[in-house]
Amino acid sequence: MERQKGIVEIVAEKVWKFFSSVKLAVILLIILAIVSVIGTVIQQNESPEKYLREYSETTVQVFEMLGFFDMYHTWWFVILLFLLTANLTVCTLERFPHTLRIIAAPLKPIDDEGLKALQLKKELTVKGGMEKAEERVLQVFKAHGYRPLETRSAGLFQLAAQKGVYSRLGVYVTHVSIILIFVGALTGAFFGFKAFLNLPEGQASSVVYLRNEPMWDQIMAALGIAESPVIYNPDGGVPAMPLGYYVQCNNFDVDYYQGPQGPTGMPSEYHSTLSVYNMDREKVLDKRIRVNDPLTYRGITFYQSSYGPMPDAPGKVFLNIRPKNSTDVGETVAIEAGQAAYVPSIKRTIRAVSFAPFGMRNPATGEVQFYRSNNDEYINPTVELEILNNDRPVYKTFVMKTDKGSPYMPEDYIISYVHYFGTRYTGLQVTKDPGVWVVYTGFIMLCIGPFIAFFGSHRKLWVRVQDRKGQAVVTIAGAANRNRLGFERAFNQIVEEISK
Amino acid sequence: MESSLLFTIATLIYLAAMVLYISFLSFKKEGIGLAASVSTHIGLGVQTIALALRWIESYQMGIGRAPLTNLYESLVFFTWCTVLVYLVVEHRYKTRVFGAFVMPVAFLALAFINVTGINTDISPLVPALKSNWLLYHVLLSFISYSTFAVAFTVSMLYLLMDAEERGSAVNIYAALGAIVVLAPLGYVMAGLGPNFKTTFWLGLGALVIAWFVYLVVAGARNKSQTYLFWSVCVTLAAGLLLAMGIDFVLYELKANPAGESYRKHLFEATFLNPSTSVLVLAWAAVLGFLWLTWSQGMRLKARLKQIIPSQELLDDMTYRMIAFGWPLFSAGGLVMGAVWANSAWGTYWSWDPKETWSLITWFIYSIYLHARYVRGWKGTQMAIISAVGFIGVIFTYLGVNLVLSGLHAYGGIAE
Repeated sequence: MERQKGIVEIVAEKVWKFFSSVKLAVILLIILAIVSVIGTVIQQNESPEKYLREYSETTVQVFEMLGFFDMYHTWWFVILLFLLTANLTVCTLERFPHTLRIIAAPLKPIDDEGLKALQLKKELTVKGGMEKAEERVLQVFKAHGYRPLETRSAGLFQLAAQKGVYSRLGVYVTHVSIILIFVGALTGAFFGFKAFLNLPEGQASSVVYLRNEPMWDQIMAALGIAESPVIYNPDGGVPAMPLGYYVQCNNFDVDYYQGPQGPTGMPSEYHSTLSVYNMDREKVLDKRIRVNDPLTYRGITFYQSSYGPMPDAPGKVFLNIRPKNSTDVGETVAIEAGQAAYVPSIKRTIRAVSFAPFGMRNPATGEVQFYRSNNDEYINPTVELEILNNDRPVYKTFVMKTDKGSPYMPEDYIISYVHYFGTRYTGLQVTKDPGVWVVYTGFIMLCIGPFIAFFGSHRKLWVRVQDRKGQAVVTIAGAANRNRLGFERAFNQIVEEISK
Repeated sequence: MESSLLFTIATLIYLAAMVLYISFLSFKKEGIGLAASVSTHIGLGVQTIALALRWIESYQMGIGRAPLTNLYESLVFFTWCTVLVYLVVEHRYKTRVFGAFVMPVAFLALAFINVTGINTDISPLVPALKSNWLLYHVLLSFISYSTFAVAFTVSMLYLLMDAEERGSAVNIYAALGAIVVLAPLGYVMAGLGPNFKTTFWLGLGALVIAWFVYLVVAGARNKSQTYLFWSVCVTLAAGLLLAMGIDFVLYELKANPAGESYRKHLFEATFLNPSTSVLVLAWAAVLGFLWLTWSQGMRLKARLKQIIPSQELLDDMTYRMIAFGWPLFSAGGLVMGAVWANSAWGTYWSWDPKETWSLITWFIYSIYLHARYVRGWKGTQMAIISAVGFIGVIFTYLGVNLVLSGLHAYGGIAE
């Protein structure tokens, strides 16, 4: 008697069957492709005021209800992604054991039945008897990179060989890659955060300001299990996330492309020199970050993202002073804007008279001219200096960023510009994403999987050499799971080489 | 700059190749076909040298970057890839019939650049674009776009061969009528403000998508609709190319204001022209072209019938092209782009319109690759999906910047 299936079993089977169909995958992909369009037509994550400016009140309400303003994070969109992932997972589990069996199946010589079922086969006679034919067939197989299994019985010699059996795994590598990317993205959403930090030159911070909180902390706090590490601003400002260390901006600068006449005003690089200090204020590391080259410390990454002025902060000019006609690197002194400092090595007092963000020297006359720069960008920072000997003015000169080793120094030392410090902040994008390595593993698999799947094929070849009245009759047959046209070409090549 | 001269020479050779391929189709003489092939090979060689020279020149100028970063360079590279992919197809399938369809695209793309001299300067890169990931991303994306373009061409031929008759003229009247109604409606609604503009685009999108879905589901049964779809696709491709060509010419004649992106001026001469009479003229041209395509398609089919490969082979070619392009697009278009974004901005995926559209394109081609495992979906459906996929490609490359950035000003990070 067959056992009656329980209701749970029946439902489970139905659900499994539902999720294991390719049709579902196609339907889900079609739905995803269609609904994804919506979020590209309606601008995402704007302020309510902006939406009300663009759309009528009812439209805003309807869109709000449907989640169209943050569509890719709505429950229904995430459920669609979940369904696709579930579909992929079930399809993989459903088909993988079968594929494994194919891969693990030992090579066997083909029987008459199997030979009949194959479409690609050829029969030919080789002159010179069995031995000659066997030798020829083996030689051709090896030349084509097959390592055949040989079996021999009276008057019958058989070969079986295969290539590219692992290409059958390509589809699984691809599917698992997508599952991993999904899992990694979820991990990031639960345990990671995105934040920013505007850090003035010379200052340090042990917190960053959150754009979104880690979901895990929120859930734990809501359940009363663990307190959230987030520091809430009582005035309703941006919540802060403690880093557990200090990050300090030592300096920020913009480099510009050089044209024939000097800097062009087109930025070539933004960079900040950051230092990390532990809570005891001991330095841990230094790093100069650039766009595309962030700093990562204890799972938190700092990206160069923007910058801006600190209008009221006092500036400080860093100057390098070295003797003329010498390889000596000299010394660096810092002088606050408008102030003076005595430099013992040259026995002079240097006063920083004024600062301009964009000065240029006329190469012919040596005259310095000043230009307007948009947003006060430091395109070629220029400082006017007055050199004094015991409070008696000796001469005035300009130093500027592009003019290292200036010839306009009357005495036997050279003063050059190093940096104008303290008047700008660096804008850092700060992220913690513990799921990123899972995503990257998925990425690597997504790069490899499709290549294995589409560029390889599992090819099988069989040969039977039979003795028929002193003549060797060779039957060659083959099958491939992909790229049949290409296999047919290779097959015909092999047949031709054997018949030669 | 020697590279510009070489690009011009390559363009002329492609022109010759185009003429030869079309004469080959008309006269079916083997000698003409061979000459076409040889000139295409030479053209590709010259263009390769030109690309290499341009790369070297950028180093001599102290900028030093791969020639892949602005519209000019991307068009040149796209042409190069397309010709390369086409030649591979020619060799593998030993047929020269596609040359007559692929080479005009290559020639027109290069000709626009040469005729108009759009900004061909080697200009320096903004900091965010200085990344090797970006280079691989652009390189692989464009190679995959080229394979999709060839797949599209082949699918178009498939759909033409698939059509049995034009079907009732009601189809074409409905399509022409839809344009007559929808085009003015679009202008009026766009004029009423973003609320209406978005509603219009969402509605139009829904309509078009519904038609696509209907075509895929019923495509094999309703051949007159797939034939109409074929006519619309041909019109769309030709219309886009021509309108952009006119824009390029006029934009350059006007001596564009420095620093202004010329993408902003696309379709200004035609579909976005301030003058109503020009608008009417532009749309009348579209209607005329659609009618012409629809009414003459069968004649074209009769001409091509003897020389075009079998439908099975066309189907197989489309599959091969997509099976080649999709892995490249996955790795280059999505993964490398995401890795670059992560290194520059700290997020590998931010659902911005360009990213989303490349994902939509990826979804469509993924549907294509899985569709053959769905019972009853065969050649016709596959060809339609392949064509829709290429519409996705075009929209990712141009539409996001043209249509969507018209709806609201996006920051240029994904440019």
